[in-house]
Amino acid sequence: MLRASARATGDAVDLNAIVDEEAGDGGIPHGSLLKAFAEATLADDGTPLTDVRKRLRNALGDAALVDAAAVIANYSALDRVADATGIPLEPAKEAGTADLRAELGIDAFRGSP
Amino acid sequence: MGLLSYDAADVVVREDLAAAHERAWLRLARAGTWFRAERRLAIAAETRAARDCAYCAECKAALSPYAVEGSHRAATDLPENLVEVVHRVATDPGRLTHAWFERARQSGIGDAEFVETVGVTATTIAVDMFCRAIGVAPHPLPEPEPGEPSRARPAGAKSGTAWVPMLAPEDRTAAEACLDNVYVSPDPTFVRRALSLVPREASGLFDMVDAQYLPGRLIADVAGRHRAIDRAQMELIAGRVSAVNGCFY
Repeated sequence: MLRASARATGDAVDLNAIVDEEAGDGGIPHGSLLKAFAEATLADDGTPLTDVRKRLRNALGDAALVDAAAVIANYSALDRVADATGIPLEPAKEAGTADLRAELGIDAFRGSP
Repeated sequence: MGLLSYDAADVVVREDLAAAHERAWLRLARAGTWFRAERRLAIAAETRAARDCAYCAECKAALSPYAVEGSHRAATDLPENLVEVVHRVATDPGRLTHAWFERARQSGIGDAEFVETVGVTATTIAVDMFCRAIGVAPHPLPEPEPGEPSRARPAGAKSGTAWVPMLAPEDRTAAEACLDNVYVSPDPTFVRRALSLVPREASGLFDMVDAQYLPGRLIADVAGRHRAIDRAQMELIAGRVSAVNGCFY
């Protein structure tokens, strides 16, 4: 979906930003900060989350903080639903993202039998 | 309803989002399709307890999580096989395997019970994760309401695509009309079908998704801006969360 949204808006994004902690913002405004917010929330290690939350509010505002938090919550749930029920990729998505998944190493996330 | 509130937050939480979370809490408090409210709330409590389970931490740190010997630190009277499902889904979802699922089934958990367990676990994690992200304490779990599970299984659900049977749009009947908010296109994605063996659980989850992410009718509008962050920013967060969770989907 990130690739699709970038194509639609004509923005150049580096999809490595999704899988690589050190890959920076991926060409997305405040991308590094949003990634740091997601990582700190998932890690639940206290102080870094407090700090990054404050920086995010200062940079993007309260409504953005809420919407970013909601996306984190959403995918924390959907990832578990996908993984626990063993759904595969849809055939069309599988074919259309083979190059991308190989490049980003996402295939390695597949559970073994 | 008054089951939960974001009044203590430093930020204003969108009304539709707070309402969706309140509906989620209400669903936890009521009988589901296969479990009474008490069991659904025990699953929610166990989802929270998994974060402090030493055995889960050991498994998470291990290269081979299923080779670690030990037992979960349970916080409820849930049967051990359900505790195993809840804790693994909560703490190490990216390394769940088909063999693990089959062991859960062989331990006596029905496929629809498994689906409802996953739905309740995911619901609890979503609301708790949102609280953590915005810096408020987790909401107290609600009190159980009386009621019996309906035990309604979709007759058209079929095995073979995922580990659990799923209900294709063409196979659903009026009895599964609650899936209207889930099956928003003629060929819904598999993640929208994943909990369809328990239609009410799927419907409840996607009631939250509409508020947390985007309503289904807006998802294809990849150039539109419907939240305070733009779509690329939303997808970067979504992608990063999934990468950290090790989710290939």
